[in-house]
Amino acid sequence: MAEELLRKTYEVHGRDFDKAGENATEIKRVLKELNIDSMLVHRAVVIAFEAEMNVVMYATKGTITFILTEEAIELEIADEGPGIEDLEMALTEGFSTATNEMREMGFGFGMGLPNIRKNADDFDLTSEVGAGTTVSTKVRLESNA
Amino acid sequence: MPERTHGFRIDEQKCRGHLACMRACPTQAIRVTDGKARLLPQFCVDCGICLTACPSGAIGAITQSFAELDKFKYKVAVPSPVLFAQFPVGITPARTILGLKALGFDAVWDFTVELALVNRAILDYVEEWNGPFPVLSISCPVIVRLIQVMYPAMIDQLLRLQPPRELAGRELKRKYSEELGLHPDEIAAVYITPCQAKTISILKPAEGVKSNLDGAIGISDVYNDIVALTKDLEKKETVAPPKGPACSVEMLRWAISKGQGNTLRRHRYMSVTGLSNVIQVFEDIYKGKLRNIEYLECDACWGGCIGGNLTVDNIYVTLSKIHRLWSDLPNTDPRVDAEVERRYPIEDFSLKGEVMPRATGKNTGGLKERVKRIKTEEAVNKMLPGLDCGLCGAPTCKTFANDVAAGHASQDDCVMLSGKRLKALQAMYHRKGEESTPEGGG
Ligand SMILES: Nc1ncnc2c1ncn2[C@@H]1O[C@H](COP(=O)(O)OP(=O)(O)O)[C@@H](O)[C@H]1O
Ligand SMILES: [Mg+2]
Repeated sequence: MAEELLRKTYEVHGRDFDKAGENATEIKRVLKELNIDSMLVHRAVVIAFEAEMNVVMYATKGTITFILTEEAIELEIADEGPGIEDLEMALTEGFSTATNEMREMGFGFGMGLPNIRKNADDFDLTSEVGAGTTVSTKVRLESNA
Repeated sequence: MPERTHGFRIDEQKCRGHLACMRACPTQAIRVTDGKARLLPQFCVDCGICLTACPSGAIGAITQSFAELDKFKYKVAVPSPVLFAQFPVGITPARTILGLKALGFDAVWDFTVELALVNRAILDYVEEWNGPFPVLSISCPVIVRLIQVMYPAMIDQLLRLQPPRELAGRELKRKYSEELGLHPDEIAAVYITPCQAKTISILKPAEGVKSNLDGAIGISDVYNDIVALTKDLEKKETVAPPKGPACSVEMLRWAISKGQGNTLRRHRYMSVTGLSNVIQVFEDIYKGKLRNIEYLECDACWGGCIGGNLTVDNIYVTLSKIHRLWSDLPNTDPRVDAEVERRYPIEDFSLKGEVMPRATGKNTGGLKERVKRIKTEEAVNKMLPGLDCGLCGAPTCKTFANDVAAGHASQDDCVMLSGKRLKALQAMYHRKGEESTPEGGG
């Protein structure tokens, strides 16, 4: 196991569109301050932002755990919420159950989970219907994929 | 030589350690140690807010004088459009030009054409640009420096076109060297500037290449002379105001930070003025918002360049004068249009050189070291009162925590954490009170 250098946990509240994205911004600020390569920062921020938005849009509440090791930026977003019935379907580009109202705000085009997967070097999605969803990702510091 | 790269100098003798400049600085570039303000040049964006804030008159703008121009054989003034909007009724743009000539300039270059060229180039640029959005205007040197220091991730969004004043410098040297048989280096292109930030952008361009202009003189430095000289000229009657365009509606629009609104009519355009407002908008862009705006015109001075710190009137008076000038000027000028048609296809407007992030010294050391610094900063920040009193010599508790983590300050500099600090301050500032006379003020 690579040595853990930094660990931060942020709370996310479902339906709080006003504050949505703030945690992703905070993570971006920390990564920038650490002078992490901007391509890697960008990928981590896309992951954090999309996952945070999903908690806001679909779940009741959740947490973002941000861990920096010597090797990777790890992000785990876990929520208490309705869960996802069909993971394959949810990971399909363009699939979305977002409401019109959400779309008007500029979210819900069904690209969130696919983009998270695309930007992560390691990606894991688990969910239990009626309980919640967990997205675990790693962006390797060496990688440039 | 960090001093040479900035538009300001703090006079140690005059500085009485008020914390006003430190508190006002939008990029936290000032600390007060041992009762004296000190500039951290790597964070300074040349906005000039410290200069206005200082109650002791200890901060001065670095300016240029006419004497420095003596080495040139032919001197051409390139007035900012703001100049024309400073004068009382009667001193028309045409007369202002005569005044500049009476001051010792051999010619005056009105850059209406260059402005129209740039406006057109911006339209093409925005239409071809694939993002990231919004494209950010580059005309205000403070904004460029702000991005270098605080928003390096947004550097790619900076418009990569030269501002009109730079194109004017290039064109006038080409024209006069041809006409007069002089070497371009023997011709001085001198910007008549509304702010010292443009002076420093000419002496030390952010993009790291030589400016096409050779220097700048503040509007406030020529204002009185022009008023006096044009009065004399009026008496003589013989001198006719020059023919051809002198100032234009587009020039005035540029001066109030609405320059591209007209050109980009069919595009999503936004204009922001005032450094604190610009920072607010940049924070939003940094968070990923405002991606639907295609072009953002931004100026550090409130109201645009008419709010520059080397102007004479307040912006409302200037706006009223612009309103008056506006009605006297034709909306279009066929001569300008013809010149634009001729020059646009044959000239290159792209920015020479690259704007790079400023090295602020924050990013040194390996990853482990940097993490340690962040953790120390957070730990120190937790102990601090969060009052931002400034008595430690840093503008905010957060900045102070950062300084401590970087090893530039000791946590004992906080009056809440160390009684010694308070005693030291009492001694320092009390003694000063006795020394200064009542009319010292401040
Ligand atoms: N945390 C979650 N809890 C419940 N359902 C989710 C969650 N995240 C995603 N989903 C489901 O997966 C779908 C696809 O998600 P995503 O790819 O992010 O697109 P979008 O959010 O635009 O709909 C969502 O519409 C939603 O039905
Ligand atoms: Mg989504």
